[in-house]
Amino acid sequence: MKAPSLHLDRNLLHRLGIVAVLLVIAGALSATTDSFATASNLTNVARQISINGILAVGVTFVLLTGGVDLSLGSVVALSGVVCALFAHPGEHSLVVPIGMGLLTGVACGLFNGVLVTRGGIAPFIVTLGMMTVARGLALILSGGKPVADMSPSLTNLAGDLGPLPIPLLCFGVVAGGSWLFLSRLRLGRHLYAVGGNEQAARAAGVSVPKVKLFAYGLCGLLTGLAGVVLAARITTGQPNAGQAYELDAIAAVVIGGTSLSGGVGSVLGTVLGVLLIGVINNGLDLLSVSSYYQAVIKGVIIVGAVWLDRRQARS
Amino acid sequence: MLRAFELTKVFGGLPVLQRVSLEFRPGEVHALMGENGAGKSTLMKMLAGLYQPDGGIIEWRGQQVRFGSPQDALAQGIAMVHQELMPIPDLNVAENLLLGMEPVNALGWVDRAALHQQAQAWLRSLDTELDTTLPMRRLSVAQMQVVEIAKALARQADVILMDEPTAALSDHEVAALFKAIGTLRARGVAVVYTTHKMDEVFRLADRISVLRDGQLVCTQAASEFSPDSLITHMVGRELAQVFPPVVTQPGETILEVQGLTRAHAYRDISFTLRRGEVLGLAGLMGAGRTEVVSALFGLAPADSGQIRLRGQPTRITCPADALAAGFGMVTEDRKGSGIIPAMSVEHNLTLAALEQFSPGSVLDRSAEAAATRSATADFAIKASSPQQAIRELSGGNQQKVLLARALLHRPDILILDEPTRGIDIGAKAEIYALIGRLSAQGTAVLLVSSELPEILALTHRILVLRQGELSAELNPRQTNQEEILRHAMPQ
Amino acid sequence: MRLTPRTVAGGFLLASALLATALSTGCKKAEARKPGEWLVGYSSRDQSAEYTARLGDAVQARAKERGIKLVFVDAQADAQKQISQTENFISQKVDVIILNPCEVEASSPAIDRARAAKIPVINVNSLTKAAPDCYVGSDDEQAGILAMEAIAKKLGGQGNVLMIHGIMGQSAQIHRDAGARKVLAKYPGLKLLDHQTASWDRAKALALTENWIQAHQGKFQAIFAHNDEMAMGALLALERAGLKKDVYVIGVDAIAQALDAVKAGRLDATVFQDAVGQGRGAVDSAILIASKQPYEKEVMIPFQVVTRENVDQFLKK
Repeated sequence: MKAPSLHLDRNLLHRLGIVAVLLVIAGALSATTDSFATASNLTNVARQISINGILAVGVTFVLLTGGVDLSLGSVVALSGVVCALFAHPGEHSLVVPIGMGLLTGVACGLFNGVLVTRGGIAPFIVTLGMMTVARGLALILSGGKPVADMSPSLTNLAGDLGPLPIPLLCFGVVAGGSWLFLSRLRLGRHLYAVGGNEQAARAAGVSVPKVKLFAYGLCGLLTGLAGVVLAARITTGQPNAGQAYELDAIAAVVIGGTSLSGGVGSVLGTVLGVLLIGVINNGLDLLSVSSYYQAVIKGVIIVGAVWLDRRQARS
Repeated sequence: MLRAFELTKVFGGLPVLQRVSLEFRPGEVHALMGENGAGKSTLMKMLAGLYQPDGGIIEWRGQQVRFGSPQDALAQGIAMVHQELMPIPDLNVAENLLLGMEPVNALGWVDRAALHQQAQAWLRSLDTELDTTLPMRRLSVAQMQVVEIAKALARQADVILMDEPTAALSDHEVAALFKAIGTLRARGVAVVYTTHKMDEVFRLADRISVLRDGQLVCTQAASEFSPDSLITHMVGRELAQVFPPVVTQPGETILEVQGLTRAHAYRDISFTLRRGEVLGLAGLMGAGRTEVVSALFGLAPADSGQIRLRGQPTRITCPADALAAGFGMVTEDRKGSGIIPAMSVEHNLTLAALEQFSPGSVLDRSAEAAATRSATADFAIKASSPQQAIRELSGGNQQKVLLARALLHRPDILILDEPTRGIDIGAKAEIYALIGRLSAQGTAVLLVSSELPEILALTHRILVLRQGELSAELNPRQTNQEEILRHAMPQ
Repeated sequence: MRLTPRTVAGGFLLASALLATALSTGCKKAEARKPGEWLVGYSSRDQSAEYTARLGDAVQARAKERGIKLVFVDAQADAQKQISQTENFISQKVDVIILNPCEVEASSPAIDRARAAKIPVINVNSLTKAAPDCYVGSDDEQAGILAMEAIAKKLGGQGNVLMIHGIMGQSAQIHRDAGARKVLAKYPGLKLLDHQTASWDRAKALALTENWIQAHQGKFQAIFAHNDEMAMGALLALERAGLKKDVYVIGVDAIAQALDAVKAGRLDATVFQDAVGQGRGAVDSAILIASKQPYEKEVMIPFQVVTRENVDQFLKK
């Protein structure tokens, strides 16, 4: 980049807004608890944000094209159940349950994408349908009961590799890869173009359906990954897991400055949004805030952070 | 009754209406005539409260007024029937007609019987019979227009402004509309009306005002005009010295179009285009010019017909096909299908030629930056940096970015649809010069423009479209604006 | 098919004709019903949760055994849905309704409506604010008392305890909490260090326990989770932090996974809630009520603490 520019400054401001909120909250937590600013707690936060992080990065792609995916939570449960069904000890090698979980996610994502692009149905409706269909399939496949008896080699995926939790490594790879993808690949640029102005993107030779299909498919893949990680973490495939996960994920993306109408946003912002939500959840538990107040405080902080951020971006 | 004194309106630094003074009388049909962009719609919208004047005053029944909104104007008795009608499609005719003034019974509930009775009465006062229980969406455009007019009457409008009411109507629908307008005149309502159709004006108007380049040329009784004198008044400007001379000799044929047809848009369009040739496509709004070039670029494919490119039959089903075949295009609708507002100048500029900068799909960002630097210099694009969002640029600079985008992959055929609409004279001159350079380099240019001086000065040949059909092929050196308009006006 | 007024109207006519036929035959059946052909409606709280699913299975099995007709529906943890299901039961003219209520307050209208239609209602497993004709279940307060007593015994009446709640406001959560607190009041040396909800959810309990390990490391000796799902989550967090040996963990319900974990010596204990006993009791009471015989207004199926010593007898069930 050559000269400093208005555009860059504005993006920077955006991020500074969230970073400031994040720092204030982290500072307050460090001051009021002995445990927040410890290495083990920070690892802890990292482990807990990984699943929401992977989902949030996935749905960033869909939101960038101007779409939305409400089926995240249900598809997480379905992928987790499918993964667990293939993960009984001694049945298959590690690749099979992971592959099946990912495949389930991709299939759901592509199905969403096809209905949006070919069917011309609004993403809100398509993914709302997928939300209940995937939940139903998870209940059918599991017989309504948690699928237990998973091989330790798979559940170990929720453990650590050296000093780092494996879920965090997954999140890191996903976030890093997505950042490179969006900033360095032609297809990444096309995603922004489609979300920014679909007609103009088409007139510039971009294949709009292909780009959208890709976004939903990739989001599905990452949702499948989140499902596998969750199953490993709770050592079962839970058909009723992942309730309302899509809301936390979309909240994180929007906090990170991605526009719900598409075309504007970044993976870095999403990562910051995920961090903010994770720190709030962790901090409220550390402070022993009552369950009733937790819900209220979390909502207020999320809306407040976005409000502050947008105000700063405008000025 | 309604007077405008020295009304002025400025958009983005460009005056679109300058010190226009007019007067409308009860019981007259007053036609506003002028080329596209002369300021007719702007004038109407100010009178109807949609726009606020930047200068001048509006006087209504002898008192100076300011309309903050269309509701203000309506409350005073001034109603507008829009070019794009805005009914609520799922409410029925009566509900639309009496929206916000429904008769209610003692309980405060809508009295359905009275609602339909009143609606019927208003429609009958326009000599129209319509089933008022039909949902609005089932009506033809002409029927909707009559409902809109009745709606204006129901609100006691004394002035009704109509912006090109007949643009989308068939002949017998036009007749029905004229009957309604006749009734209005008899009731003492002032009807202000714009159209491109010459015959209508002389059938309908009592007085005619001609606008040109945002200024009032004259106001006279319709009987004092002849069709030719009216056209001369509408066009009558000197060719500015901003046009480069046409010097290039066209080379071999590159594009042949044969029998291109699309239902309800254009029929049997055939022409050829040669390397280095600038071919003008003239016609009124809605004549099918944009639709024809959209078909060539794959934006809205034709139903039938053949396109031969460099002698080979070519199928173009989407813009990506067209780009690969060597077409480039700057669309008419800069905001709708041109710029990506939130993206930077650089990313907008390279979007259509991204393959060049991403062999193996990884973007070479330094090559992108270099191309942007040279394009901003070549096209004199004024932006604070290549990273500035394009929506922050002026219209002219946005248009130059889009031109640069279309040229980045060196098209053999460049389609320009209204490339100079809404931009200032300086940027226009730069675009004219560019067209000359491209032609000299052997690029074939297909230029769609409503600005006749532009077409006359820049092109090698002119095709005129009238109601979806080719009506003439003219040599720009041997014709004039009057002749073009004569071929463009519906017979 | 395009939706024109005519097709829509046709569809309505057809649908109402079908409905009318269905209703009239339904009515005839109700009149002609003989003893032993009782029609009983069962609304399960949530067939996707392990315990209530087992309860539902037990009800179905017992109904088959006793030869009665059962209309089985699942409210999917939605009290609103449960109310409309009850309304359907009423229009189907069932003889008795067995309700496995979603919530204390929100499911109460279901009872009121059934009683207004003079159809007897049996609550199974959890309570509602409105009183049913009969309650078959286990006293959730008892579960809380048993679990906390087990903790008190293990810690010798001295130490710090953490408690993981179910969804706040549900009958089981309220009563298990109340039972636990009764025991805590008895032992001044036993302190409730912290308590939070994890909404019956394993992943949430896991994250909560991880956070507690950070906040209160080394300061707590026992965790009481309101159900086994959450106990399993807490167990995973403790095992991963290498702290399990210092902390006693007990849950409620005795789901299969929890029993396996007790057997393997990972989970310390769970409180067995007898789904089969509750299911049988509910169906049996329903038959008594339908045939106008005397019945118990409250059938209590006792809880039992399951530890490694007695786990084998529960694994068979």
